[in-house]
Amino acid sequence: MSERKIYVGYVAREEGDGALDMVISAEGKIKEARFKIWESPRFFESFLVGRKCDEVPELVQRICGICPHPHHLSAVQAVEQAMGIQVSEQTKLLRHLLLLGDWIMSHALHVFFLAAPDYLGYESVVGMAGNPELLPIVQKALQFKRLGNDMSVVLTGHEIQNRTSVVGGFTAVPDGAALRKLRQRLEGIKDFALETTRLAKTLTSDAVYADLVRKCEHVALKSETEYAVTNGRLVSTEGLDIAEWEYPQWLIERHVPGCNAKHAIIQGRDSFLVGPLARVNLNFGQLSADAQAIAQEIGFQVPDYNPYMSIVARGIELVHSVDESIKTIDLLGEPKYEDPQYTIKAGEGYAITEAPRGICCHGGRIDRDGVVQKWDIVAPTARNVYNIEKDLNEFVPKLMHLSDEELTLRCEMLIRSYDPCLSCSVHSLKVNIHREG
Amino acid sequence: MAKPKIAVFKFSSCAGCQLSILNLEEHLLDILGAVELSYFVMAKRENFAGPYDISLVEGAVTTPRELEELKQIREGCKVLVALGSCACFGGVPSIKNYIGTQREVEERVYTHLWDIQSIAAYGIDHYVKVDAYLKGCAIDLGELVEFLQSALLGVKPRFRTHSVCGECKLKENVCLLVSGKKACMGSVTSAGCGALCPSLNRACEGCRGPADDCNAESLAQVFHEELGLTKDDVVRKFRKYAGNTPQFKKGASFYERA
Repeated sequence: MSERKIYVGYVAREEGDGALDMVISAEGKIKEARFKIWESPRFFESFLVGRKCDEVPELVQRICGICPHPHHLSAVQAVEQAMGIQVSEQTKLLRHLLLLGDWIMSHALHVFFLAAPDYLGYESVVGMAGNPELLPIVQKALQFKRLGNDMSVVLTGHEIQNRTSVVGGFTAVPDGAALRKLRQRLEGIKDFALETTRLAKTLTSDAVYADLVRKCEHVALKSETEYAVTNGRLVSTEGLDIAEWEYPQWLIERHVPGCNAKHAIIQGRDSFLVGPLARVNLNFGQLSADAQAIAQEIGFQVPDYNPYMSIVARGIELVHSVDESIKTIDLLGEPKYEDPQYTIKAGEGYAITEAPRGICCHGGRIDRDGVVQKWDIVAPTARNVYNIEKDLNEFVPKLMHLSDEELTLRCEMLIRSYDPCLSCSVHSLKVNIHREG
Repeated sequence: MAKPKIAVFKFSSCAGCQLSILNLEEHLLDILGAVELSYFVMAKRENFAGPYDISLVEGAVTTPRELEELKQIREGCKVLVALGSCACFGGVPSIKNYIGTQREVEERVYTHLWDIQSIAAYGIDHYVKVDAYLKGCAIDLGELVEFLQSALLGVKPRFRTHSVCGECKLKENVCLLVSGKKACMGSVTSAGCGALCPSLNRACEGCRGPADDCNAESLAQVFHEELGLTKDDVVRKFRKYAGNTPQFKKGASFYERA
């Protein structure tokens, strides 16, 4: 046998277009593992130059339909930083709640729609719904995801593209009654969030995953006061500790031929991982009491460097998001309308939020007329792509005994464990495996 | 009767409009009972080749590869639907069409240009015949359900073609343009969203593209002369979600000429 080739269609259940090419030598070593991303570039960083600063958050939330709010809020905060705008406590709480809703929607979507079918042996959630035993779980998962969506609807008028959040605050605020209804539903879903975490643990407890550990640098926001969501310092498991606005100097991007997304490294070091696993590893002590308790119950210990455990981290964060949302709603009480007024000034600003799949960075320079001179965007998946390649290089040799079909599925699952939001940056995948010899 | 086969495709876009299908949580299992979702890469691992009864296409066409795929999609389906403003008009990606040559656009973002294959961003009806349009950034879930129901019944869906103003008046909102002196585009923008933004005290940004009776030049004048927007501001307003349409082009070029 001279060469073994595997061709698989799109890596499904992600958003966007891309491919994975792997060449495996006769000795079972990976000669090459590389993403080929052909998601068409949309040139946001290019066409934002010359737009007005208040349009930036409105436009960049259109980068990604799965995590529009992190893009939006990073941009809002970067503009506010550039122009020296202070916002009210209420605005900060509303933004916090908005992102928690995004986490709930996205994590529920990921765990049940994108990841669970792999582990349970279904091609999609449609197949799962066809099994009478699994149907109640699918229905409950749909309710959970809808709750995350409804948090966005209550706060911004829409599931995906927010209509109320602007530079300086909100054009309209939800009434207390609507928030209290959300609170009731959050309380009602709490047990299912705990169940989700247990399920995630069960799914990933197969011995085949236990071996797949690779220590790499994990990067996340860290706040002094809470489990960081909308702001904080950028820290890592290897000692990175910088202010948000310093990220352009530390997180470097390289353009890779054959790939529309750029490869990310930390200055002077190597690839890194962002997302729920990095957050749980770095900020475990700030999770809600019940989120910490469920982690202990299922035997999850930090730091965990197994990327397949990201699904467990999502379960833990679902529990935390439910608790934290309830707390935030209580703090909001009866929100009052505040006119989002500000004065346009020239300046430069950079900000980071935690998207469901990791840090989302925005920033740039604005002139005295409020026109953008330069805008930098780095979506979380762009940070992770290079790290995924490194994982593949390490893990595939351990999985060589598997059939081509099985090996392909494991690779897809690894990629899906990062929940790559391919519209953001790198986009669905096609896995090509070539085995030589 | 066999269930109609539905396919969902994505070109240059944020995936938000196809996510909207999954955002129909309460109807989703009913819909899956009534149609066969044959091709939907975002949601399924097993996807089947056409032909399909209905193909929903999200995103603008911005590469030669997408254009080739679009032609195949058109040939392989009975009903072709433009899903969202990118597919309808070019959407946000079309902003790049108006800021210099493609090479200039690329040079600002990438260092190795030989690798980038991008063409001007257009909606899909720039290239092929389109049977239905679901407008908006993102699409309206009510319109999506209306479309699917109508398709199953074999009747024409009822979509609004008048301006957002009509819906805004029905909601008894105070006019943001007249009373609030805000640059609201509701008077030239196609309805169907339920005047969502103005109802939330936010000026309409025209994400659903031009209404049937659009008078963009007149609104451009109001923006500049009565509200004091700069000429550049006016141009930006009309070149955001539907700058490719002849109607909004008139609004944008009104002051660009001067």
